[in-house]
Amino acid sequence: MVYRNAILATAVALATCLVLYATVGIPKPPATWRAMDIVSEGGTALIALVWFAIVLTSRPGGRVTRLLAGGLAAIMLGSWADCLDEFWRIDKAAVWDNCLEALVPAGMAVLTAGLYYWRQEQVRLTEHLQKRERLFREHRAFDRLTQLADATYLREQLRREQAQRPDSHCALVLLDIDGFHRINRDHGRAEGDRVLQAVSHMLLLNLRNDDLLCRYAGDRFAVLMPGLDAAAAGAVALHLCRMVARMRHHAGAQQVMLTLRHACADTRDALAGDDSVAAVLAQLARRVDMAPA
Amino acid sequence: MIACRLATDACIPAHLQPAQVLDYARSRDAHDGALLRGTGLAASNGDGLPDASLVSAEQYLRLLANTLRVLDSPDTSFMLGQQLLPGHDGALSHALLQAPSLRDALHTICAGHARLTPLLLPRLQTWDDGAALVWTDSFGAHSLRPALVEMHMTAVVALCRWLGGTRLPWRFTFNRAAPGHVEQHEVHLGGDLRFGCHVDAMLIDARWLDVPWPRGSAPASALALRQAQALLSQPAGLLAALYDYLLERVRVAPTLERTAADFGISPATLKRQLQRHGTHFQAELDQVRTHVALWLFHTRRAGNDAVAQYLGFHDSANFRRSFKRWTGETPTLLRTAMDVARAAVQ
Repeated sequence: MVYRNAILATAVALATCLVLYATVGIPKPPATWRAMDIVSEGGTALIALVWFAIVLTSRPGGRVTRLLAGGLAAIMLGSWADCLDEFWRIDKAAVWDNCLEALVPAGMAVLTAGLYYWRQEQVRLTEHLQKRERLFREHRAFDRLTQLADATYLREQLRREQAQRPDSHCALVLLDIDGFHRINRDHGRAEGDRVLQAVSHMLLLNLRNDDLLCRYAGDRFAVLMPGLDAAAAGAVALHLCRMVARMRHHAGAQQVMLTLRHACADTRDALAGDDSVAAVLAQLARRVDMAPA
Repeated sequence: MIACRLATDACIPAHLQPAQVLDYARSRDAHDGALLRGTGLAASNGDGLPDASLVSAEQYLRLLANTLRVLDSPDTSFMLGQQLLPGHDGALSHALLQAPSLRDALHTICAGHARLTPLLLPRLQTWDDGAALVWTDSFGAHSLRPALVEMHMTAVVALCRWLGGTRLPWRFTFNRAAPGHVEQHEVHLGGDLRFGCHVDAMLIDARWLDVPWPRGSAPASALALRQAQALLSQPAGLLAALYDYLLERVRVAPTLERTAADFGISPATLKRQLQRHGTHFQAELDQVRTHVALWLFHTRRAGNDAVAQYLGFHDSANFRRSFKRWTGETPTLLRTAMDVARAAVQ
């Protein structure tokens, strides 16, 4: 557990607050307790605790996570102190009590700083993901191995493209790795996985920001290139094949040659007929099957 | 008396297919707890399943169901298929590895199916210009059957591609509606796919059957097969044995009573056992008759009269009604669809 220390420290701080109030404070008679205050201040502390836990368990470590979690922890502690105030009377002159309650605005400031950096981080990530997701985010449609979109996502994008820009070119290229099954047999599946990741990186590096790279299935990749016709896409595909062929992939001590075969089509022409997206893909899939190795 | 295994009989070596499944799921970051839940299996920490132990078909099916659910990815069944054959079963796997041609490889798979593909029964049928490998259920896989079919077809395709050194032009028919993840079928099996066909089969032109394979060796394969003789005589699953039995007698209207007697059990016991496998006698018989009718339509271009006569129906009207009940389609409609598909291939 990466965040054991943070959680431990928070638990200790909460308990210390409770002990501090119980020992230093003078208990208020239950008749004077204000239910509304207790519920709202205690509730704020509780919700902040939940948010704190969500942030810690869902984000990788780093500055943004520390700021977000720190801010939420401060808000929680401040509200907790506020809530305990309802049960015990503290001398008005005590500075520590006021400091504790000032944790709420301080926490909010820290949280705001965290959100600011989070936004910057998000802009970077979006830039990085652009070629992988293209204007639409759906986390279920991603392949876990290569972090690329899958065939379902590709079909969705093709339908969008067809609906929004039926008159402009949009090229689709399918790329297969030659003899991928032999890599799996000879070097094991883990090596095959590494090859898929390496090839996907090489392809991503050679695409425009508007292109979408998908892992269609198995060792087959698909590239959607809006605005390009079949001839231009063919040239891009040849370039991609050449770039992958120049890679030096090492399986242990052995070097593995990687080559691709491809098939491409302009989906505008194909979809202009009555063919469905599925039929266009199936036809292109048959062509890449027959492409010379 | 015909010997067979029930789904609850421990007969699958844990270190073979179940261990492969567990290994794959672990490589995809699945946890043992979720994978083994409800299987009654325990894996020692970080290791595979205990070597000498046997698991039942029920446990293996449960492990597969858990794996498919936990990994929740459309390629799981296909990836499991990629590694299924030739397997790690000593002489039997060795015989498969040395197979001199497609025909020998398919014969070896069919002969050793109780060890190599315990959950599904492959049956090789050949005619003048073609061959088909038909897959049927061995133990009652229920909702898992489509995934098992994907897995086993992928296993044969991948093995033949590897040993033969080239991608073979298989054609596929599936007893299911078109799935959402058809791209997996395209990549792992091939582009010639037909869904809604009442039979799970992979077809190929006869000319590929005897093309010599580069790494094959007929003497080595035959020797390995002789050494694997003990494995080949292992009894098959109840539904697999019943399919073979019914297919042999499909023309003489087999009955539950007679079948039970030949299996050496009482009709009530057979009924109960079939029920436990999620099926009943008539359903199994209808499946066999459907397959035979489709086979005759496809390979001999037989008409309704000929098939009705072959299957022992009084007249073709009777056969047509029954066929409609088995498949939901009339034989004429289905034959037309077949002709269209055949024309598309040629």
